[in-house]
Amino acid sequence: MANAEWEKLKEALKKPATPEAMAEAAQAFKKYQAVELAKGKRSRPTIVTLGYKKTYPNAVPVDKIPDELAKNPEFFKLIGRIIK
Amino acid sequence: MPTVLAMSDFDLATRSASGFLLRYIAPRVEPVQLLGMLVRRLPFQLSAPQSDIIIGAGHGSEDTFTGQNEAVILEVGKYDPKEVRGKMIKLLSCQTGVELGPDLVKNGATCVLAYVDDYVWVCDADLASTPWADKKFAGKCLMPVIDELNALLDGKSAREALDIELEGYSRNAEVEEDELVKACIEFNRSNAILLGDGGASIRARPSLALPFRLIPPPPLLMPVA
Repeated sequence: MANAEWEKLKEALKKPATPEAMAEAAQAFKKYQAVELAKGKRSRPTIVTLGYKKTYPNAVPVDKIPDELAKNPEFFKLIGRIIK
Repeated sequence: MPTVLAMSDFDLATRSASGFLLRYIAPRVEPVQLLGMLVRRLPFQLSAPQSDIIIGAGHGSEDTFTGQNEAVILEVGKYDPKEVRGKMIKLLSCQTGVELGPDLVKNGATCVLAYVDDYVWVCDADLASTPWADKKFAGKCLMPVIDELNALLDGKSAREALDIELEGYSRNAEVEEDELVKACIEFNRSNAILLGDGGASIRARPSLALPFRLIPPPPLLMPVA
């Protein structure tokens, strides 16, 4: 079930990859994650990709996604393509 | 049927993807199975021409598919067409459907099943040593791929196998409660493509004609006590 923070994250990811938009998306993801963690059903989830020669890591723990979103425009764009 | 199953496993992503292939596909196919350090160019070059189907899990880009430690296995314009001619190819990798897939078909591959953007999923890092047990996260994306491969190996056409994969994603997305996992499932579903002959299926090998007739063994005569 989508929470309100998820909708805010989707809106933030639609913006161009400017430092402000990236920081906003990172903040929104942190809030979304706080709601998910409160449900207490996670272990150590990590988002992984099979990309080659990418500027973003192939594995990012879900709790580190906000940090990567805030600093890496390519990762911001990838998450923007995934979360539409 | 002779199969090349290339499963690199040097990081969390490849370990998770290859773990599912190792658990669910490897037991039912004949060697050659390239695992870990064997997923390099030379072993692939030697085994691929003799196979009917090539299945690979590894990192990739628009024009390249790689193996262990990102050793290049297939790159546009840098492989011998006999390695892929007449074969069905499944690449569980990022973006290989953009340039590499069409190039493989141009060089004689019957069909290629691949993805036009990153292949992304959430996996549980705590289960890195038994990735196939990760049903809660990774299984949501990777089991539809396993179902597709099993359909291919059962003799279904490439189009039917792809449909099975897509239906699997739809089914999993519909019941998924975690929005991030659901987004990944839908993303992979929208990027899965089939290039080449969708009606192709794996050839059933004719049975060997023996130069003699097999005679059934005589009945066992038990001594009367």
